[in-house]
Amino acid sequence: MATASDRLRRARPLLGTFVEIAVARAAPDVMEAAVEAAFDAITRIHRRMSFHDPASDVSRLNRQAAAAAIAVDPWTFQVLERAVELHRRTAGIFDIAVAPALQRAGLLPGTKRARPRGRVAADADDPIELLPGCRVRFRDEHVAIDLGGIAKGFAVDRALDTLRQHGLAHGLVNAGGDLAVFGSEPQPVSIRHPLNPHQLICHVRLANEALASSGSCLDLFEPSNVPRHAIIDPRTQEPPRAIAGASVRAPSCLMADALTKVVMIQGEDSAALLDRYHASALVVSNAGEISVTPGWLDGKTLAA
Amino acid sequence: MTRWIRLAAPAALVSTIVPPAYAVQYLSIAQAQKQAFPSATSFAQADVRSWKAQSGGTVLGLFVVDHVVGKHLYIDYSVALDPGGRIKRVDILQYRESYGGEVREASWLAQFVGKSGASALKVDQDIRNISGATLSSHHVTEGVKRVLAAYGNRVR
Repeated sequence: MATASDRLRRARPLLGTFVEIAVARAAPDVMEAAVEAAFDAITRIHRRMSFHDPASDVSRLNRQAAAAAIAVDPWTFQVLERAVELHRRTAGIFDIAVAPALQRAGLLPGTKRARPRGRVAADADDPIELLPGCRVRFRDEHVAIDLGGIAKGFAVDRALDTLRQHGLAHGLVNAGGDLAVFGSEPQPVSIRHPLNPHQLICHVRLANEALASSGSCLDLFEPSNVPRHAIIDPRTQEPPRAIAGASVRAPSCLMADALTKVVMIQGEDSAALLDRYHASALVVSNAGEISVTPGWLDGKTLAA
Repeated sequence: MTRWIRLAAPAALVSTIVPPAYAVQYLSIAQAQKQAFPSATSFAQADVRSWKAQSGGTVLGLFVVDHVVGKHLYIDYSVALDPGGRIKRVDILQYRESYGGEVREASWLAQFVGKSGASALKVDQDIRNISGATLSSHHVTEGVKRVLAAYGNRVR
């Protein structure tokens, strides 16, 4: 067990939530430098992929990419590549182009003219075109993207990479519940109940693995009785109705983060996709039923 | 095809409650000052919550501490401003979460009164990682904007 002096824990407000980085078992100056560099990586992602920052890649794309191909940061391009891949593999269920619906729901600021209904999931042509040289073009002016469903996971992965590159043997990065760990010592993680935030559903122990959760937004400052979902089913352009929350364990946090959105929308139909990405899931229905895939139970202990 | 496993009797599986008070101290004020301005040789207190970071006769920037408080959360944070009045970094110093009662209540806050320094808080020293609905940091972001408005032109 690490003692207090050989471990370091820091938190900053980034990516719209509280990002915590914990490291252990290295010299204090090595840990400080590694954590600083990991926060720098997350800050880069925050700046490039924020929907709210007018200078971000996402904002520049939303303003200009329908008119001309726009060059973006290689990291933004990597996230878009995975998003487009998942869009294809899920027949449109995973969709980063739901920003207009999120804007209508009041979850994102501003207004962009929505695409006509019914054209959304069935589109054969990809709304986002990825070109050589990290350039991106949108199909038309109705396309508006939000990377909120995938960038946090990517940020966790990049921060963990940074800690490894600094020679650390143990690390944990938690971006508001999207988290990943590396090192020989498994880390305990509690899953918060999506319908009752003061309750925990279960505890899992993670080692060299990522876990992400989705559900309604939680504001401990001024809790509201009306759950606000930040997820839109592209088929209905509305939040999913059957499922209250989903957690996914996966080898990378980007994939865990993105797959929670698919599981929220598709529920148990997402099993094959989870298998494909070596992921497992826990789902809580709005009726309070809890289901898991068999992989989830590996090494898992229920809350007492 | 993977079969899903229904966990029976959900109510029995759910642990009753999160500990009523959960607090993490990440950094003391002195630690946060040093991290924000590593080359500073002194921190001259400018008012009750701000310090000028100096190296010799040169002003390196301003260090401001502030807090935001809501129904279940109380967060102390620091904002480091560079000599141009731009944000250099924001750190969370302390994070306190409570479900037992409102954190605005004097009795809940009283347990933290007079405690400072890295070793003072003993409320929950176990590393606790939680995944679930994403907590919004919106209120801290708004707080940082207020700090910037109040102190942005007072660095020099």
